[in-house]
Amino acid sequence: MHPISIAMITDFFHPAVGGVESHVYMLSANLIRRGHKVIVITHSHQPDRVGVRWLVPSLKVYYIPFVPIASSATLPQFLTFLPYLRTILIREHIHLIHAHAGLSSMGHEGILHSHLLGVRTVFTDHSLFGFDDAASILTNKLLAGTLKNVDAVICVSHTGRENTVLRGELFEKSDTDPDGISVRDSVYVIPNALVPDRFQPSPLPPSTEIITIVFLSRLVYRKGIDLLVATAPRICRDFPNVRFLIGGDGPKLIDILQMREKHLLQDRIKLLGPVRPADVCSVLTQGSIYMSTALTESFGIAILEAACAGLYVVSTRVGGVPEILPKDMISFANPDEDDVCRAVGEAIKIISEGKHDPLLAHERIKTFYEWEHVAARVEAVYDAVLKSPQMELWERMQRTMQLGRFAGPIYTIILIVDCLFFLFLEWWMPREDMDFVRERWDQEGFVELARKAVTVEADGDETARTN
Amino acid sequence: MSKEWEKVLWKRQHQPDNYIVTGSFLSSLRRNANFRPYTYWPLVLLSCAITQHLATIFIFVSVFVRLKENFLDPHTLVWISVGCFFTGYLNWELLDRTGTSHEHRHANRVKAVKSSILIFLALMSLSPVLKTLTAATSSDSIWALSAILFGINALLADYSAISLGGGEVHERLTSVLSMNAAISASVVLASRLANDLAVFALILFSVQVFALFPRLRRRLGRPSALQLALTLVLFSSSIAVTRSISRTVTWIYAAVQLGVTFVAPAFLVWAQKFKNEIRGPWDVAVPKVNC
Repeated sequence: MHPISIAMITDFFHPAVGGVESHVYMLSANLIRRGHKVIVITHSHQPDRVGVRWLVPSLKVYYIPFVPIASSATLPQFLTFLPYLRTILIREHIHLIHAHAGLSSMGHEGILHSHLLGVRTVFTDHSLFGFDDAASILTNKLLAGTLKNVDAVICVSHTGRENTVLRGELFEKSDTDPDGISVRDSVYVIPNALVPDRFQPSPLPPSTEIITIVFLSRLVYRKGIDLLVATAPRICRDFPNVRFLIGGDGPKLIDILQMREKHLLQDRIKLLGPVRPADVCSVLTQGSIYMSTALTESFGIAILEAACAGLYVVSTRVGGVPEILPKDMISFANPDEDDVCRAVGEAIKIISEGKHDPLLAHERIKTFYEWEHVAARVEAVYDAVLKSPQMELWERMQRTMQLGRFAGPIYTIILIVDCLFFLFLEWWMPREDMDFVRERWDQEGFVELARKAVTVEADGDETARTN
Repeated sequence: MSKEWEKVLWKRQHQPDNYIVTGSFLSSLRRNANFRPYTYWPLVLLSCAITQHLATIFIFVSVFVRLKENFLDPHTLVWISVGCFFTGYLNWELLDRTGTSHEHRHANRVKAVKSSILIFLALMSLSPVLKTLTAATSSDSIWALSAILFGINALLADYSAISLGGGEVHERLTSVLSMNAAISASVVLASRLANDLAVFALILFSVQVFALFPRLRRRLGRPSALQLALTLVLFSSSIAVTRSISRTVTWIYAAVQLGVTFVAPAFLVWAQKFKNEIRGPWDVAVPKVNC
């Protein structure tokens, strides 16, 4: 594909830590390796991360001075992002923006504004939402408004795609049948990936005498800590050679502590407290079974990391988890106590009979999920988007009106005010006066520079890992 | 590698990433899975609890108006309250007989006698204070305040019923708030009255009506002939006592009551056809733990 300029827009980016953050970084890095120019636009971080920064490998990050309100997300404001975005997109000659995460209002705004500059839009949804609580109803309506005119949507799992299609109302009336509706053909499934080398299994074969079960997650209700608290004593009673290794922190830690005290399991259940991302692999390789009791999960990258580190996985059958691994690498349980115990028993049997080979598992995961492959698939989406015809303003307005009796007019008014605001900005800050970016780092230049300064590259790797 | 598309992510598939199998897409979507449609008459019976509650509020307000206009002797009201208390307590005892053990009942009885004497004395000694509590506030503010408080009371009240002899009674926070709102409303209303005895009588009556009666009502359990009779008695007496005070208010009140009892259930039954509950694999699972 012809190299293009891409702007990733999201509320969730380095220096914050999390699934979306690392996804955006890794995807950008791999797109840069494929010859594209990528920048990231996100909000500023306390105390002083604001302005333009560079990350290895030649990834330019704009930290816009917006204040996040809760868990690193900014307030949906619809218009305030436009002056910044217009300047950045014009300066950087951007062809396409890629917004990430359903709760990132910067991403939503980016999709709303980009058509004014003729820039194409892609959106990636990373999470699953229900339909029955007030917060979901509100955010789903915001999402539907944004996605009405987006050029393509990427979801991280097939279950995630079904969810996003319903939440974002991504279906169109079919031309032939007036009552029939069909899903838009611009909704893609492209999974996450991981860096397999960071999750190397321990070279020693796992002990079959003492079996260690690793549990590594935030200790919150959604991760199913109640199930862990109910099943751990039963598993310890039924299998005297089993040890637990629990990492993470959160409000449910107290439940685990109480359970450990009540059943006198201090010598068999070890609590590690919060685990730094860099230490995850060393914790994983201490065990031979990874247990996940999450109650909802759109992709389950933690499960993949554990499987990659050579652990056999026991997980609840929720969300997108059933899609991520072949059946011989994972045991599923329904989210109830008896079934989790049964599945863990099954896993212990497999491990103690030595039927699971960690090194083989690692090699297989390597072939399943690769960032190069993911980047190529995302690139194909970009290509399809750039080749598709751009919508006219009138068509946008008509489509926005379809949102509903109340939401439709509101969003249409926002769309029109946005256009007027844009015209005002064109007059107030003319393009001719702008300072265009002419310097460009390319792959060869970077390689040359990297060769020159090996020490700098080592630092860069460090940065990449903490992302 | 097979040509067949599978719903998995780990396999490299031949189909493009936007490929959708028409049959399997959204196959795990369930609509209105746990949906049990309501029918009209059971809903009408269930709404009796609301009717009773509104009726008690109107009876209370008209009693207050009579006290204020000196149509009603405070002594009579005190005796009515005492009479209500004993009738209610008798009923409670009869309902209790089926449920709990003998010793438990005895302990409860002693506790009830102790606390009723305590409340009686406390109210008696507090009534001079309560009488002058809002002397500096204008009456208009008091009417508005008490109306708001009665509104809160009616909105937050616990209209559910508990099964007979069914173990623990969980008081919800909202029902406690509701009771507090009603008692506050009666305290501010009582502070408009002329003498100590009238204040005492009104507060005593409000304790009967807003603190004890809702408990008894819940205790009476699911809609039955008894509940229906109680509803009719309360409704007709509330109409009777309101009518002599104001014709307009009576008409409005009767319309509201009929609306709540007969029209609102019909509306709910009609609105059910719009119900569209979506469940799927993305919902947060409910963990099942044995204990």
